[in-house]
Amino acid sequence: MQEVVCQKDDLQPGEMMESTFGRHSIVVCRSSNGEYYAFMNRCIHQGAPLSKGKLCGAPEPTDNVGEYNFVKEGDILRCPWHGREFDITNKGCMLANEKLKLKDFKVMVEEDNVIVYK
Amino acid sequence: MSQKQATKLHLIDTDIHERAQYKDLLPYLEQPYKRYITDNHWLQEKHMPYTQPSVAGVDRADARVPDGRPAGSDLSFMQEQLLDPIGHDVGILTGALDPSPSSMHGWYEMATALASAYNDWQIDTWLDQDERLYGSVHIAAQDPQSAVKEIERVGSHPKMVQVLLPIDDQLWGEPFYHPIFEAAERHELMIGMHHNEPPVYYGKWPRYFIEWHTLIPTAHMNIVTNMVFNGVFEKFPRLKLMMIEGGFTHMPFLMRKMDQQYKDLRHEVPWLKRKPSDVIREHMCFTTQPLEEMTKKEFMQVMEQMGSDEIVSFSTDYPHWDYDSPFDALPPGLDEDLKRKLFSENAKAFYPKLKHLRKER
Repeated sequence: MQEVVCQKDDLQPGEMMESTFGRHSIVVCRSSNGEYYAFMNRCIHQGAPLSKGKLCGAPEPTDNVGEYNFVKEGDILRCPWHGREFDITNKGCMLANEKLKLKDFKVMVEEDNVIVYK
Repeated sequence: MSQKQATKLHLIDTDIHERAQYKDLLPYLEQPYKRYITDNHWLQEKHMPYTQPSVAGVDRADARVPDGRPAGSDLSFMQEQLLDPIGHDVGILTGALDPSPSSMHGWYEMATALASAYNDWQIDTWLDQDERLYGSVHIAAQDPQSAVKEIERVGSHPKMVQVLLPIDDQLWGEPFYHPIFEAAERHELMIGMHHNEPPVYYGKWPRYFIEWHTLIPTAHMNIVTNMVFNGVFEKFPRLKLMMIEGGFTHMPFLMRKMDQQYKDLRHEVPWLKRKPSDVIREHMCFTTQPLEEMTKKEFMQVMEQMGSDEIVSFSTDYPHWDYDSPFDALPPGLDEDLKRKLFSENAKAFYPKLKHLRKER
């Protein structure tokens, strides 16, 4: 099964949009380096629509108390409700607990089409 | 002595309050501080408006020294009433110089002098007089430079096991106080925190003592939360914290709440790289008193929700009015292995300066 979920130009790096894949609502994201990713548009915590959140960055883990190194701008999807952070470039893993991750979909780009498939 | 009391407990009692009267400290005070007490009748500020809690204030009525001195002020009587009949292996002194020097408002020099005098008096009067007794380093923590000097001065004493900080309205996890933790870690001292007169009712005194006393664990929860999220244990990985006289049954709630908050708000504290409950289980221990009355089943449910039976240590809180007897405070029927942990193993594992006791038995 495969489906065109958006056009390449629909998203600039660091942007995301809602789309559908079969019966599923999905969120299609474009990371800071231009790659495309797709996830179920439903937070694993309480089901919030992730496409209404923010694609942003996050302070990376540090050994120094009081230090903020804001990195991965455009690669971190934050849930619109509780603000949980998921790294779209790392299989949608939650930053606070990498054992927890979003449901992700395979994505390929053909000509101007962004295609989700399984 | 009853049958059950004939069994030796090998108890490490993690909260015993010895008490100094000002006249006890005079030989250890330099001038001008001594004269402020003898000539000016200086007294530390007092806040708590309640004198009615029990039949003898906040002490056991039978703990007053027979010659009339306040409870906890005489070693011989403490030996006779507590250490000998119960058979303590170790008692850890947590002081009764209230309010703590660290809680004094203003005049930090006097607070520092009092803390030093108290430490010297504690060593001479208690630690050097009974091999079972271990002590706490008192400091004036509101002035971290002087506090560090005091830790350097007495912290290497082999029977000083922890630096004592009061739980009041200071947030000890803030970086301003970190030199204290650095000095403690250097001397293999843990941190002991004991509430003094914390403002648990929005900074006010409620009408009744029963209200204030019921919610003391909330003050403990404040400082546990503060210490974890301010990254104290990430910065000082060998440091541990004994939470004294607040009990432990509130901790399953707090650990679960902190873990949930961490998932939502990790971005604010990126120096914390593991679950708050993992930090707590690795770096904290909680003294039992004042125990709520529980069945064995209820007690074990709390233990299970703590995620460890190695972060709770028994304490009597002698000679306070809500003293817990090691023979009667715990629910009956607890497994012997668990009782060994609560009565001694957990405290031995917690305090580096008790490590010489670890291989006995």
